[in-house]
Amino acid sequence: MNSRKLFSLALLISLIGYGCTDLNETLNSDFTESFTPNNPGFGQSANVNGSIPADGLNAAYSAIMTGTGNNGAWFHINGIASDEMLIPQRGGDWFDGGIYIDLHTHNFKSTDGQTNNTWNDAYNGITQVNTLLEKGGLSADQVAQLRVVRAYFHWRLMDAFGRVKIQTQVGASVPQSDRPEVYQFIIDELEAAIPDLNPENGYARAGKFAAHAFAARVYLNAGVYKRSVSGGISSAPWTGDYSAELQKAIDHTDAVINSGLYELDSDFANVFAPDNVDNPEHIWVLPYDEATGGGLNFAMMTLHYPSQLTYDLEQQPWNGYSTLESFYNSFEDGDARKEASFIVGPQTDINGNPILDVAFDKNDPDGAAINYTPAINELFPNASRQAGARLGKFSFKIGQKPDGDNDFPLFRFAEMHLIKAEATARLNSNWSHPTTLALVNILRERAGVSAFTSLTADEFLAELGREKFQEVHRRTDLIRFDAWGDSWDFKPAHSDRYKEVFPIPNAQLNATTDGSLTQNPGY
Amino acid sequence: MMTSWKQRSGITSLAKKMMHSLTLLALVLVTGQLAFAQTTVTGTVTDASNGTPLPTVNVLVQGTTVGTSTDLDGNYSITVPEGSNVLTFSYIGYITVNIPIDGRTEINVALDVDEVLLEDVVVVGYGSQSQKEITSSVATVGEEDFNKGTINSPAQLLQGKVPGLSIYNRGGDPNSSPTIRLRGISTVGANTEPLVVIDGVIGASLDNIDPADIEAISVLKDGSAAAIYGTRGSSGVILVTTKKGTRAGAGIAPGENVEIDYSGSVNLDVVANTQPVMSASEYIAAGGNDLGSVTDWQDEVTRDAVSHVHNISVSGGTANTIFRVSTNYRNVEGVLQESAFEQINARANVSHTALDDRLDLTLNVATTKKENNFSFNEALRYAVLYNPTAPITFDNGEYFQAILFDNFNPVAIYKQNVNEGKSKNINFNVQGSFDVTDQFTLSANFGQQFSNFSSGTFYPSNSFFRGLNRNGLASRFFNDSRFTLFETYGAYADNFGPANVTLTAGYSFQENQYEEMFLELGNFPTNVQGYHGIDLSGDRVVGLASNVNVNSFQTPEERIIAFFGRLNVTYDNGLFLNASVRREGSTKLGADNQWGFFPAVGIGADLNNYFDLGPVNQLKVRAGYGVTGALPGPSGLSQDLWTYSFSGGGTVSKARDGNPDLKWEEKAEINVGVDFGVFDDRLTGTLDFYTRDINDFILEVEVPTDVFVSGSQFQNVGKLQTIGFEAAAYYDVVRTRDLRYNTGFTFSTYETTLEEFTVEEQMRSNLGAPGQNGTNLIRVATGERIGQIWGPVFDYVDENGAPVMKDLNGDGQVISNQGAALADNGDFKELGNGIPDFELGWNHQVFYKNFEFTAFFRGAFGHSLVNTYRAFYEPIDPGAINSYNRIKTDKAVAGLTSAQFSSLYVEKADFVKLDNVTLAYNFDPEMVPMFKSLQAYVNARNVFTITDYTGIDPEPVLASPGASDNGGFAGGPDVLSPGIDRRNNYFTSRTFTFGINIGF
Repeated sequence: MNSRKLFSLALLISLIGYGCTDLNETLNSDFTESFTPNNPGFGQSANVNGSIPADGLNAAYSAIMTGTGNNGAWFHINGIASDEMLIPQRGGDWFDGGIYIDLHTHNFKSTDGQTNNTWNDAYNGITQVNTLLEKGGLSADQVAQLRVVRAYFHWRLMDAFGRVKIQTQVGASVPQSDRPEVYQFIIDELEAAIPDLNPENGYARAGKFAAHAFAARVYLNAGVYKRSVSGGISSAPWTGDYSAELQKAIDHTDAVINSGLYELDSDFANVFAPDNVDNPEHIWVLPYDEATGGGLNFAMMTLHYPSQLTYDLEQQPWNGYSTLESFYNSFEDGDARKEASFIVGPQTDINGNPILDVAFDKNDPDGAAINYTPAINELFPNASRQAGARLGKFSFKIGQKPDGDNDFPLFRFAEMHLIKAEATARLNSNWSHPTTLALVNILRERAGVSAFTSLTADEFLAELGREKFQEVHRRTDLIRFDAWGDSWDFKPAHSDRYKEVFPIPNAQLNATTDGSLTQNPGY
Repeated sequence: MMTSWKQRSGITSLAKKMMHSLTLLALVLVTGQLAFAQTTVTGTVTDASNGTPLPTVNVLVQGTTVGTSTDLDGNYSITVPEGSNVLTFSYIGYITVNIPIDGRTEINVALDVDEVLLEDVVVVGYGSQSQKEITSSVATVGEEDFNKGTINSPAQLLQGKVPGLSIYNRGGDPNSSPTIRLRGISTVGANTEPLVVIDGVIGASLDNIDPADIEAISVLKDGSAAAIYGTRGSSGVILVTTKKGTRAGAGIAPGENVEIDYSGSVNLDVVANTQPVMSASEYIAAGGNDLGSVTDWQDEVTRDAVSHVHNISVSGGTANTIFRVSTNYRNVEGVLQESAFEQINARANVSHTALDDRLDLTLNVATTKKENNFSFNEALRYAVLYNPTAPITFDNGEYFQAILFDNFNPVAIYKQNVNEGKSKNINFNVQGSFDVTDQFTLSANFGQQFSNFSSGTFYPSNSFFRGLNRNGLASRFFNDSRFTLFETYGAYADNFGPANVTLTAGYSFQENQYEEMFLELGNFPTNVQGYHGIDLSGDRVVGLASNVNVNSFQTPEERIIAFFGRLNVTYDNGLFLNASVRREGSTKLGADNQWGFFPAVGIGADLNNYFDLGPVNQLKVRAGYGVTGALPGPSGLSQDLWTYSFSGGGTVSKARDGNPDLKWEEKAEINVGVDFGVFDDRLTGTLDFYTRDINDFILEVEVPTDVFVSGSQFQNVGKLQTIGFEAAAYYDVVRTRDLRYNTGFTFSTYETTLEEFTVEEQMRSNLGAPGQNGTNLIRVATGERIGQIWGPVFDYVDENGAPVMKDLNGDGQVISNQGAALADNGDFKELGNGIPDFELGWNHQVFYKNFEFTAFFRGAFGHSLVNTYRAFYEPIDPGAINSYNRIKTDKAVAGLTSAQFSSLYVEKADFVKLDNVTLAYNFDPEMVPMFKSLQAYVNARNVFTITDYTGIDPEPVLASPGASDNGGFAGGPDVLSPGIDRRNNYFTSRTFTFGINIGF
């Protein structure tokens, strides 16, 4: 080859090179747009899960499951801040920067990660709804379902934070609304959706009566929600006339009760058991499943490390959540709900042998053999490792995986009894109203305890606790009964009404650079 | 700037000389030429510049194999066979001369220094320049100045040698790569490691080059030097030049300059430092559970590790072709039981010159095969924590285990479980350059690299650590990647009066793609087949299928395409101008922002050219400005993403809003420097001052979730500024004939400030379980220095044994729970900074007759570390002591029984260590007639460390991985969170090496 040829070749190579300036990016292992799966419904094992409709709405519905049945978000902040559960510091475990202590003693922090998760989970769900709505191609019933789901996320936000953004679009920054506006938005959405909804929409879906049940709960709390947060929460709940809202609450519960679609399960424990699929009491559930619906891990959250042997758990649990001694003692012996709700006493392995904590605290009078005692010696720093009745309502099966199979009812029939009972009492200013007593006593009869012949507001609140423990109602109920500032185990009383809502998460304030989000008064 | 460790070690020259002698000897023996008539010539060889006698100069009878070398006084005596008439005198660094004998019996020779050789040529990217012409901060370290001993990673050759280049390999893990940072944090979200260029191949991997094959490494430190590499130059550029053969020149026949070299070493690693913990009796006395045995767990999981390394190379050349082939074998053990790797590497390069030297063609090929046994660093962690009274096994031979949180028998971890990897690397590149005219050269470079890595883990059904509850757990991981580079460029060089001008322009195309497959299954009928029997998994049964963990992934074709140009002007051999531009595009960025523009300019002046500076024989001032870029790590960040999950029976949901506006991260750097030499270069040095502004840095930041579907997005969000100073000085303290001693000193300091950020302040990096989640340790604040360890200040112990913190703001209340770290009424402050104030290196080289001694000290000052072992396990906590042994240091506070993060656990970690010390002996050729050259050495590394830090290793932690516990896996490192000494770190080791280098 002579140099001239070589030069030509070199020039050619250069020109080929210069020609290539293609910078298109084609992603091979990511989806850059939505699609309809070829195998809707795939992956379910029929024995533990119902058949979820292949309606394309999963993105919206399954978003509710995040943070509802596990540690670290909505369940967590509502539960630990209330009088039904806590996580004590057990020596070297569970101090974690004091976040559980601060939550339980109502020193709410805007930097708390769990509070931020609660916010994020809800808005993620709202975005999934709005994305589906924008995509279109939905039936009137499906649009109505999505509006109910979106209203539900807004309800969680309003209930927790008060002043939030009503978001009905994708990718738009909207102004922050005060609590009464959010309340009205939710009511309006539900009232608009109900006529379009089918009576039932299948397993783990919101039908017409789920929307009625939801509306009943929102109206029942009108005395809380219709008070402004923006100007500082200045008055006690129920200041003013709420008879119209209470009547609405009754009307909506009547709609559910009269539908004939739901009934109480004669065995309270069944309602929450691992095989509780299609329980007649369920109005709207989250379809948790060990295989296809992760996110409910109460076994991990509450059990002591060696209790792994009791249930042959796949992973070692964390020895965290317990109930308060006073809350445990609010149940009388023989109450089926007490038996169903808590794990107490000496623990054995799967063969019935006692299980030991080889690292037991030598000051612990119960010694190495594990015995869950309702009494908790202190909140911190050295709560006994085995102290505290454990959360057992969503019960465990042998060989349980970290994710449980128990469906989580967002609304169940028993709550309708209680809403109607309470609304009737409030409407008539009489906690011993015959309707109230009758409805409450239906639930007490099922629990195997004697009927009330009269009631006070405090007794009614306690009854709510016994029936709805671990279902994330307690904080809302305590605030509605103006008991949020009361003292309970390890939590001093306070009169800081602003603490009825959590602080807006610091991360959101930081991230919202257009100034459209501000902190709640008091924080 | 040019950092050159001026004093040559002498190994190379001696080796070459000895090799020649040996070749001669061999040929003498074979041909029996000794039978001919002879004359003897004697004489002295001196340095022409100062008359100093030169020892070990190679003296050869031209055309024969007869040779000798001068003695220590420069004298030689050689017997010349009949018929020969020319003597060749050669010595490294000097011009070789051929002198006719013409019947003389005494010939004295004065050799001239080879100026071309000494005026080191510096590789600068798409060409090279003489040291003098450089106007930016470039440091070159040659083989003779590399760190000695068994070095397994190329980067460690440079540790401490280049001011501003921080290389930290915490602990002695043979399977980990060191962290490399040039001038501190250059980027927070993009790749923080420097760009590596091996023999002109951009983006090559250091994994595929054996340290023994490296001739020299240049580090382009500032923006004006790195800008020619554009988008990936922000973290600095490391240019590796491999060893080559030599061309046969005048007087050397083809084949005669073939050199065969062997080097081998064997080394012993011993644990240098363990974590101080309570003995069994102390533990019991402190209230711990007595389980009846006495076990030193840290001793049980460590060992004295023996490694050996062998390298063989053959190189040589004819007048037109040079070649070098080498093979390297490494069998390296770490001090953690079973941690080891075995590696075989081969490399070959051939260059051919044709068409009257106008065409150069080069082929480089390298392959590496490596097998790792990663063992389990967790064994070290649990060895620190495990109950010292626990037995290793029960009487029946089964491992003792306790069902406790974060508690695993350390011996069982490494003995029962398997964690292995294999990798193969192949790369080649073909380079050609053609002198179209005397002024214009056209070059092209095509290269590819193929790598694959596979790993397997197996946790048998009786292993508490990950295996038990899954009835056996196995995983496989496969990664296959390819990289292609194509570049062409032309260079035009000409003289215009006193100005020498070189103009370069070119095109660059890079494409990278990899794919991965991960499979994890459990439930095995037997443990016999380990991970190779992954198909036996019972998880394949339908009801258990949810346990199957599968991940499959392929990146897009990630491309970087660039056009570049450069102008070099040397005026009057005293003024220098270098300017370059690069326009470069990447697939990783938003469609409208893919292309970036990266200019640079540098000027310099050789003041000696214009002024008489007396004893200052060299004084160059220079200044440079350059813009470089950085790319985000992952692809696809500009696009919206959706995910599919089985949740709820099959869910397609939106997972991320892409950022279509994502653009380059840009670094603008100004560097001003001085290079000087005094007293005929007896004292040389260099000073550099720089400022660098990193604009639009790319980071995953929180975005409002009411607008964006996920709470985070990669954005160009802020600005970092670093101001730094670097100095290096080298001094020939003694330079007599028998004794030479020189010393070199490097110093660097920098401070990085977060000038702009989306949030005013933020806490990062969780301490972790047990009991210290929600405890973020590092504060990042706009307008402030990076690296702040932030927490409450310990005051005293209360009656419950809990720590009471100081009321720092004097408001009468103490708010010290870490969750309130940023609260207005919180009592928190900066407890230390994770980044050193300054770093030092101090080198000594002594040559005495045939002995050669080097010692290298290294230190870092002003940084702090969070000693996480102490933070968790030092207080005598009654609820935890039965689960974990206690850390025992003199910093413990009596009566403290509650673990809570505070100033107690933040320690100053200033240190000085004797990093490397070597004693070598170069045998005289007469002593080892069977070899051309022979050097034997002993070396020790990490000899001692002076520090107050009570943890295992005071080296700075430049980026902290996340917390991990209870058999979980740690997340990736966060560069905004330096200074956390996590619990999974490998123990440090002290290494003793015996090695030989032989020339045949």
